[in-house]
Amino acid sequence: MIKISKEEVLKIAAMTRVSLRDDEIDGMRKHLESVLSYAERVQEIAADIEEPSNKNVNVFREDVVMKNDSEKILDQAVEREENYFVVPVILENR
Amino acid sequence: MNSLAFATIKELQEKLDKKEISHEELLDFFIKRFNEHDGKVDSALEIFDKDSILKECNAEGPLKGIPGIFKDNICQEGRIVSCASKILENFVSTYDATATKRLKKSGAVILGRANCDEFGMGSSTETSAYKKTKNPWDLSRVPGGSSGGSAAAVAAGLVPWSLGTDTGASVRQPAAFCGAVGIKPTYGLVSRYGLVAYGSSLDQIGVITRSVYGSALIFSHIAGHDMRDSSSLFVNKKDYTANLTGRLKEGLRIGVIEDALNAEGMDSEIAAAVEASVSTLEQLGAKVKRISMKTLDYSAAAYFVISRAEAASNLARYDGVRYGMRAKDSDTLYDMYLNTRHDGFGEEVKTRMMVGNYVLSAGHAGQFYDNAKRVQNLIRHEFKTIFNDVDLLIMPTHPMPAFKLGAFDTDKLQMDLQDYFTCPMNLAGIPAISLPCGFTKKDNLPIGFQLIGPHLSEELIFQTAFAYEKNTSWHTMHPNDFK
Repeated sequence: MIKISKEEVLKIAAMTRVSLRDDEIDGMRKHLESVLSYAERVQEIAADIEEPSNKNVNVFREDVVMKNDSEKILDQAVEREENYFVVPVILENR
Repeated sequence: MNSLAFATIKELQEKLDKKEISHEELLDFFIKRFNEHDGKVDSALEIFDKDSILKECNAEGPLKGIPGIFKDNICQEGRIVSCASKILENFVSTYDATATKRLKKSGAVILGRANCDEFGMGSSTETSAYKKTKNPWDLSRVPGGSSGGSAAAVAAGLVPWSLGTDTGASVRQPAAFCGAVGIKPTYGLVSRYGLVAYGSSLDQIGVITRSVYGSALIFSHIAGHDMRDSSSLFVNKKDYTANLTGRLKEGLRIGVIEDALNAEGMDSEIAAAVEASVSTLEQLGAKVKRISMKTLDYSAAAYFVISRAEAASNLARYDGVRYGMRAKDSDTLYDMYLNTRHDGFGEEVKTRMMVGNYVLSAGHAGQFYDNAKRVQNLIRHEFKTIFNDVDLLIMPTHPMPAFKLGAFDTDKLQMDLQDYFTCPMNLAGIPAISLPCGFTKKDNLPIGFQLIGPHLSEELIFQTAFAYEKNTSWHTMHPNDFK
């Protein structure tokens, strides 16, 4: 049985870039514990096997410029200035 | 006119060819079907207006005039693609997915966007941020998921075919719950270009229909190599209906996975219906062998780890910066990320991303992710060995019939375990079709079983499925409320 602490939940939430309200933390902790405790069984039969071989291959194509209308994409920006996306301040003033 | 609602694609094509009905009349008919009946099942997130449909889908081709609906995670240029998530509520696709492009070119008519679990994550379509789809056979029950809207619309006779996507079960399980035919193809046979990613090494677009011929026909128009998807296989386009002879391949060998039929929690009526299907195929000339699959009981665990890990990476892109939703009133960029993703994603998606980041994180990756990839290798190897002795395999699609809405609200693990019989094929990258094979006596709910084959055995799967269908009548049954 995997045990997850409240601190761990908050650490993973931060890695995942989601905030959790205080009343959401315990439910998430229990949910994570139950899924991970089930998933843990992968260790049982994986023990004696080699690492999976990596059979991925690169797929190449000609480097040709294709016409794309960036306006259609920029148009969906929540906030923009000309060709830039505008976001809230990145570094706080201290 | 109601004979049109449950007509097969072949019958609709004949009516169009003989000019018994015009393309526009057929379109009107199915839009009206949605208007009149979708309030009961809530299968669609949007039905487009007729003028825009005619403008987008007007090509001459073999599927000319045949209407279908797409799961809301497949891009259609100029249309919203929300993945049933708040975070993409108003996101408009700027291009067509390859599957969309190919179907439009073949003349197919796309009516709208079908409801699904948020980003394809769920087994009941209840995690949609917008609505809960109901099962046309019993409106108090779920249609399955994640492609629940796609399956419910087809089963209710609102549309003759639909596209869904399948990462661990999501075409086959809803097809089975709704009494429809659902194919999950070989990984790489259908381009994923324009399919919003969940678990990229597992995701495949599949087709849901009421008959095997329709499945093979629509599939013929989406399968085949695409240079825009680097995992696309070098397989040419072909006609998958060509081999539907109504007979089995000479000397066909079928393996029945015994561990599945004897699995804990397996409904006895489902096991009996699957056994009856085995007998039918045996009577048609198949040689049946009982098979044991050692890795079956480890597949769901490996699938949980790999799919959640990939989801965590894929969904990192939704950050409120470039498109989609952005939480208001955040002081800093970091807070904006946290608030946007908190408000924009539902609980299931957040949980899966967090499980994914946990199993990939330093200190846990060896225990979970690396071992899950090893188990995946074992599963592939076991299938390969099994397919030395048999041509196809049979396994139930689901351990229990469609359950009540809200049944697993407090037991999420049991909901996750809906993928138990279907995810091994995603992990191995092999194809499987779910076919209707009966109804439960007590509640008259559909039962489905899977025909599973090795890589690129779709022709054999369709041939066998068609012969089975021809000798059974399950596909001719339709839910009473929609006749």
